[in-house]
Amino acid sequence: MAAASSSDSDSGRAESNEASSKWLDAHYDPMANIHTFSSCLALADLHGDGEYKLVVGDLGPGGQHPRLKVLKGPTVLTESPLPALPAAAATFLMEQHEPRTPALALASGPCVYVYKNLRPYFKFSLPQLPPNPLEQDLWNQAKEDRIDPLTLKEMLEGIREKAEVPLSVQSLRFLQLELSEMEAFVSQHKSRSIKRQTVITTMTTLKKNLADEDAVSCLVLGTENKELLVLDPEAFTILAKMSLPSVPVFLEVSGQFDVEFRLAAACRNGNVYILRRDSKHPKYCIELSAQPVGLVRVHKVLVVGSTQESLHGFTHKGRKLWTVQMPASILTMNLLEQRSRGLQAVMAGLANGEVRIYHDKALLNVIRTPDAVTSLCFGRYGREDNTLIITTRGGGLIIKILKRTAVFVEAGGVVGPPPAQAMKLSVPRKTRLYVDQTLREREAGTAMHRTFQTDLHLLRLRAARAYVRALESSLNPVSVTAREPLKLHAVVQGLGPTFKLTLHLQNTSAARPILGLLVCFLYNEVLYALPRAFFKVPLLVPGLIYPLETFVESLSDKGISDIIKVLVLREGQSAPLLSAHINMPVSEGLAAA
Amino acid sequence: MAEERLVTRTPFPASAESQKPRLKKAQEFPILEKQNWLIHLHYIRKDYEACKAVIKEQLQETQGLCEYAIYVQALILRLEGNIQESLELFQTCAVLSPQCADNLKQVARSLFLLGKHKAAIEVYNEAAKLNQKDWEICHNVGVCYIYLKQFSKAQDQLHNALHLNRHDLTYIMLGKIHLLEGDLDKAIEIYKKAVEFSPENTELLTTLGLLYLQLGIYQKAFEHLGNALTYDPTNYKAILAAGSMMQTHGDFDVALTKYRVVACAVPESPPLWNNIGMCFFGKKKYVAAISCLKRANYLAPFDWKILYNLGLVHLTMQQYASAFHFLSAAINLQPKMGELYMLLAVALTNLEDPENAKRAYAEAARLDKCQPLVNLNYAVLLYKQGEKEGALAQYQEMERSVRLLRDSGSLEFDSEMVEMAQKLGAALQVGDALVWTKPVKDAKSKHRTTSTSKAAGVQQPLGSNQALGQAMSSAAAHRKLPSGAGGTSQLTKPPSLPLEPEPTAEAHPAEASAQIREKQE
Repeated sequence: MAAASSSDSDSGRAESNEASSKWLDAHYDPMANIHTFSSCLALADLHGDGEYKLVVGDLGPGGQHPRLKVLKGPTVLTESPLPALPAAAATFLMEQHEPRTPALALASGPCVYVYKNLRPYFKFSLPQLPPNPLEQDLWNQAKEDRIDPLTLKEMLEGIREKAEVPLSVQSLRFLQLELSEMEAFVSQHKSRSIKRQTVITTMTTLKKNLADEDAVSCLVLGTENKELLVLDPEAFTILAKMSLPSVPVFLEVSGQFDVEFRLAAACRNGNVYILRRDSKHPKYCIELSAQPVGLVRVHKVLVVGSTQESLHGFTHKGRKLWTVQMPASILTMNLLEQRSRGLQAVMAGLANGEVRIYHDKALLNVIRTPDAVTSLCFGRYGREDNTLIITTRGGGLIIKILKRTAVFVEAGGVVGPPPAQAMKLSVPRKTRLYVDQTLREREAGTAMHRTFQTDLHLLRLRAARAYVRALESSLNPVSVTAREPLKLHAVVQGLGPTFKLTLHLQNTSAARPILGLLVCFLYNEVLYALPRAFFKVPLLVPGLIYPLETFVESLSDKGISDIIKVLVLREGQSAPLLSAHINMPVSEGLAAA
Repeated sequence: MAEERLVTRTPFPASAESQKPRLKKAQEFPILEKQNWLIHLHYIRKDYEACKAVIKEQLQETQGLCEYAIYVQALILRLEGNIQESLELFQTCAVLSPQCADNLKQVARSLFLLGKHKAAIEVYNEAAKLNQKDWEICHNVGVCYIYLKQFSKAQDQLHNALHLNRHDLTYIMLGKIHLLEGDLDKAIEIYKKAVEFSPENTELLTTLGLLYLQLGIYQKAFEHLGNALTYDPTNYKAILAAGSMMQTHGDFDVALTKYRVVACAVPESPPLWNNIGMCFFGKKKYVAAISCLKRANYLAPFDWKILYNLGLVHLTMQQYASAFHFLSAAINLQPKMGELYMLLAVALTNLEDPENAKRAYAEAARLDKCQPLVNLNYAVLLYKQGEKEGALAQYQEMERSVRLLRDSGSLEFDSEMVEMAQKLGAALQVGDALVWTKPVKDAKSKHRTTSTSKAAGVQQPLGSNQALGQAMSSAAAHRKLPSGAGGTSQLTKPPSLPLEPEPTAEAHPAEASAQIREKQE
């Protein structure tokens, strides 16, 4: 470890200020290829030689190649493939005999694999769940061919609708089948007894009857069918079974099984349930209104991290004590216990690459890591009492040792005014010109005001005049007369010398169609030629937009453009209903023409 | 699929013997819930990519039968904004296990997010049949009723939710209903209970503080805002509100220091720059004030309060032409406020347009029946124009409103205004100072002119109460706000000074209303 610390500390130095840091950077390997959760990390003296090893239930990159890894110092000691993804790892003492080497338990799927001396020792499988008797009955009938597949399907669907006990996979699969496939499926599967199997979601240990450090412990399992099981450490029989309203995700236990214990289970429905020894059902319930991401007990306080980027402290009766906001979302949590100083604190690994250590509400320390932290574990490693194991999202492994002189002091974090208070306000500066203008306004304010008012009135007058003129001569493209409410919109396309002119004419009246309209183009005949300068408009149905297309040939080769006037007229009237002036573009196709 | 899994299983050395019985026939069905725990762990860590990969694998293996995988996939889809798709998946879940209230709750939630509140309520009721004692259902039904504007039903449901389990969110919603109904007192009751239940929730504390501020109970407002700042020194709502209260007390430097925090967190907040501008105004840094107010105006061009303040500052700077523009813009946005017309009249008077000034005064007097200042200013203008009868009428009108105000409460009048009124009274030969007996007694050493008199006088700051300012600033610095100092003295401060009080009086309503609006979203 010492050698490693000298060679690897360079990379770690960037993140933590070496001199003031409470931690020694023992090891950092960004390519350690360890992908795991805090629940799959365990530290234990597996060989009884006083050298603590790190047990990692590794999910493998992308959850593809699960492996059991045992690390000694910075190197992997042994590595063996696992049959399925590990959900949790724990070390515990199975019996009183010497040598007192702890066993390793690995929960995976429906089984717990127990190792002693790193050799396979025992496999515990969860008992099968009792199948629904009605379902069982139906399949028995199918076996004897007393029921046809269609009736079977109907009956099974009926069970699914109402029954308390869910159907087995076999039945569910059957219900998905098409009519043609049913027969084959039934004949293939009818002889098999239906089964319901559940899986382990979480696991922890609970002292059996002594509170000592090295006392025999039971395994506590949380299962997918919303149950908690306590296993006997020697016989692996189920000592106790408790049911929860939801699936447990994290467990936290205190006390001894034979005396009195408290079990806190954070569940998938966002609640934390607290059970006691003699309760088959939860005694207290903490509703978080968000998903819990970690559950740690510090002395008598339950610390829950929630997806709302906050840590909450609760009493063991479920009363809320405090809340601390985090700067980023919490990814994992674990307990930090510095036995020599009697300190217990919560570590929270955050998405922004920080590990924050809290004692109740007080922030004790922040460790910055180069990547988002996926799992944390603190304890004795090798021969060093206070070691922190961190794994990061990219598969990196960081080992830090707490300096022996380090003392965590409360209020080491942010207290006092927030740093932003010391920053200057960015008040926009004003220029010399502004000041000059201000002075001028003071001197000649009245004159400025009068000039402005006069100009404003003139502007309004001109606008009004122009508007009246437009209305009088129907120069505007929208006609609002009661008889012919029309809207005209013209588009010119092309580069020239030939352009396409499209008039979009719309009858905006609610119900009345318009008949007998004419369109007339007025243009300079020297510059432009149109195939038809005058044509009739078809009947205009209200609401529809009629595109009327015509081609315009530019005759001039001097690059001049002109205005084409479009007039919409009513048959028999000389004054146009509306008109539009089209600014023709300059023909760019002269060379080609 | 099954074979594959078995193949990978065999090399496992751990329990080769115990594995054997599992190597039955090849037709073994995979356990549907095998990887639910992993999906859940990825989901709560917000590692959605990994989560989706596991879900895909799981769904392939189980041929779409794994309910939890579909459920989480729907949750992720909803987070990504694909509400309709998520709704369909939740409905699939509900088909797979019809007895599960959770699925129905999520269906309802998606419906709610799609704005189909009635449908959501129906589904929630369906879910409530499966799970009677769920506060979440009650709460959400309540929220749906709020959107349907059926407030009494919403209240019932929210109270039910509180009865089942108390949550901050439910309190907030209940308070919101009362605010929507305009019942501030009830809202305060609710928020009080909420603060009792979770004393460290800064949002609740801030809201309660703002409500007290609206009701003018400054002591309690400051107490709650201070508490909010103790727990979260960067809570910008609380800082803005507390800052505006400090401004009211003329404690501009402390307010500015506090605003720095907000300027860092929310640099584009119009109320913030408005308040900063008025702080500078109070400190007589007029150019800085105009800069800040113009920024506020740039950020919120349709906020008449900012325009009002801009007009006021420009009047002070004797830039009457600019003041006219800002004030007329403000009037366009808020045509119902007498004081705006009065300020406009002052600007017009200075722009030598007495005709329009008179019209503006008349409008101001029409809109604001008991503001003696309007009448006084109007009277002065008329007097200067030589219209003694008109001036006299306005003078009497002023006396009437002064009496009204005096009778209605213990209002005190600005000494400067009193002085001006007495001068005018003498000039009009109606001199009886009876109306003013009370304020004259404690007339302060301020010399302020009413708007029509010499402009130089207008540049007086409002920070009159120095001792109070000190008390407030030290209190704020320690962030433990003594309940006595701030509040009680606040009540003695005359709120109706002529020109200057407006900036501060203005500063906080502008900001407080912005807060309320924000909250109601």
